[in-house]
Amino acid sequence: MALSETSKFKVIASGVIPFAFVVLMMLYIFGPGADLLDFGVALPEVTIEKVDFFDSEIQTTVRNTGPIPVQIAIADVNDRIQPAAVEPDGFLDRYETALVRIPFEWNESEPYRIGITIDDGTRFEKEIESAAFVLEFTPDLAIFFAIIGTYVGIIPVMIGLLWLPFIRKISKSKYHFFLALTVGLLLFLGIDAIEEAIEVSNENLAGSFNGILLTATVVVISFIGLYYAGQKLIDRADYSKLTKPVAIALMIAIGIGLHNFGEGLAIGAAVGLGSIAFSTFLIVGFALHNTTEGIAIAGPLSKDKTLSKKSLITKLIGFGLIAGSPAIFGAWIGGFSYSPFSSVIFLAIGAGAIFQVIVVILRLIREEGDKNLSGSSVVAGIAIGMLVMYLTSILV
Amino acid sequence: MKITRSTLMIVLLSVTIGLSAIVIFPNFSDAESELKTFITHSGKVIRTTGEVIDPLYTVSTVEFDPMEYLREFHYGTVSKLSDGTTVREYTIIAEDDKVMEVSPGVFYNVWTYNGTVPGPTIRATEGDLLKINFINNGSKEHTIHFHGIHPAGMDGVFEAVGPGGGKFVYEFEAGPVGVHPYHCHVMPLEEHIIHGLYGVFIVDPKEGREPADEMVMVLNGLDTDFDTENNFYAANTIPFYYQHHPIQINTNELIRVYVVNMVEFDPINNFHLHGNLYNYYPTGTDMVPSFYTDMITLSQTERGIMEFEYTYPGKYLFHAHKVEFSEKGWVGIFLVSDNAESDESETEYGT
Repeated sequence: MALSETSKFKVIASGVIPFAFVVLMMLYIFGPGADLLDFGVALPEVTIEKVDFFDSEIQTTVRNTGPIPVQIAIADVNDRIQPAAVEPDGFLDRYETALVRIPFEWNESEPYRIGITIDDGTRFEKEIESAAFVLEFTPDLAIFFAIIGTYVGIIPVMIGLLWLPFIRKISKSKYHFFLALTVGLLLFLGIDAIEEAIEVSNENLAGSFNGILLTATVVVISFIGLYYAGQKLIDRADYSKLTKPVAIALMIAIGIGLHNFGEGLAIGAAVGLGSIAFSTFLIVGFALHNTTEGIAIAGPLSKDKTLSKKSLITKLIGFGLIAGSPAIFGAWIGGFSYSPFSSVIFLAIGAGAIFQVIVVILRLIREEGDKNLSGSSVVAGIAIGMLVMYLTSILV
Repeated sequence: MKITRSTLMIVLLSVTIGLSAIVIFPNFSDAESELKTFITHSGKVIRTTGEVIDPLYTVSTVEFDPMEYLREFHYGTVSKLSDGTTVREYTIIAEDDKVMEVSPGVFYNVWTYNGTVPGPTIRATEGDLLKINFINNGSKEHTIHFHGIHPAGMDGVFEAVGPGGGKFVYEFEAGPVGVHPYHCHVMPLEEHIIHGLYGVFIVDPKEGREPADEMVMVLNGLDTDFDTENNFYAANTIPFYYQHHPIQINTNELIRVYVVNMVEFDPINNFHLHGNLYNYYPTGTDMVPSFYTDMITLSQTERGIMEFEYTYPGKYLFHAHKVEFSEKGWVGIFLVSDNAESDESETEYGT
């Protein structure tokens, strides 16, 4: 702490000098007049990120995801050239987007292939399995999504929480089993969220977004961010009204909430894409699936014997809402303003949150006595948790 | 310790804000404000502040002028031999480095004879002696292979002409009567054809044909993204050109169209005429028409002569009845005006 002015300056200089060299090198390679790397042919690429069906019109959002600027020259539907309008204009710099409006008398629930041809004659295509009117915001629809979100998120989680009295009465090893079961459940959800994020990015995002690495990066950032925040919460629990089990339960509720947000997105998007039958299935599946999430919250909470009955009930309801209600927001966003990029981000944040919760629970089990996490109840709990999730996921 | 923690928080916060900024604000390009309108097939009027991309109906021009090509016949530099034989001399230069706007806003590397796709229409009378001075200014080997009757050494197959100024003189007697294609015959053949090295060779009968408004239509396709499927189809290269630039003809005037199908990848092409039927002479080798029809099917390099007259003025489509082709550009309009000579049709047809 007693650094003199000069030594402080030296520290800063030694940090800045290498960086200055990096800048110089970049200027030399890419700067004006540099032709060192002027070889090879850059291939243009555009990605059709979104296709919306309006009355007698198809609108597509096109993004330049290649290394060079492009000019949109032609739009087609099912490989048949159509007159169209590009807003604001057809010239797209890297990562710029434009809206291509194609007047077209489309038919509901038929598949369509939308093509965009750019100035060098390359055609890019996106296939829509079944055309349906774009969901435009109406209070009715918003209420509909809220009800679905409640069915999928809040109610199942609340039902799961009803296991609390049961978990409370059981022995320590059985309690460990339930905590481990939670770990298994969450592990499954985390992997599921990552898979979903990668799937969305593969189907809808251009290669230049590096979907898998984007997912990995967001998962890790979400994980360390929440880990840091969670640790603060637990630290504070020592000298605040929150007991440690309650703090952990709260973190689990937050983690699951982030996850359910992703589920809401999936349901909203499925309704938005017109696959109503598919989304009905999703709703039933998620509802069953999410009952198990209630158990995950109930596990650590049951440990807290100090809570009064009234305060316990308020906490259960509160945690149920924290964990469940994001499904409603997810459904709204997924239905009304779906964007594949934000979906990937939200799914990955959810996955990071879940892994963070897993670490916290595992630590709890260790503190409770099973230092190696190799007790039969722990091992069986994780395995059964995964299995239960897998079996209920088949329903989705 | 405190400093590192808060730094971490700041980093996390800025990353989060950065990511959400990308999510929330898609970076649309700078807006234009002028309101434009255009009308679609169904008559719907679309208003947009953006850019209209409509190669179908919006009048636009590109470098190559299909209207000029349509009625342009090259008879060569004419001289006579001592025995009275007409000699027609042509110079044809091949190039393969030109990038041409083939549809408004779409640029494609065309390989050309005398700078255009199709190359110049060579026209001679049966029995004329043809001398074609071929110069290859391209970067690859090229030739000219004429369909017709000629000695083996003039076939343009085994006599590859080197790049960068290679020369060859094709000399043969024009025949037989009819309409024939010519094209490059260097391997890989398909590549040399689809890039545009082809043209039309017309041999007139000695006694001539009945005077008519004559035109050449090469039915071709362009595979601009090299996936062995045509992205565009056209009569004379430019998609939809004769739709927004109708071909003007007159009632009660004989129209003669020399049609040559040069489409690759797709096994067939066809030609359907609206509001009329035509006499069709396959390959143009016979003076008696084989069909009276409004629809013929053409395989690769299959060609023929169509003759027809319109009685009623107005707009008539002609297009591939393989509708995929017409919806990718092989469609046009004959705008038939009332011929001054006949004043019988005062009546308005249709609305």
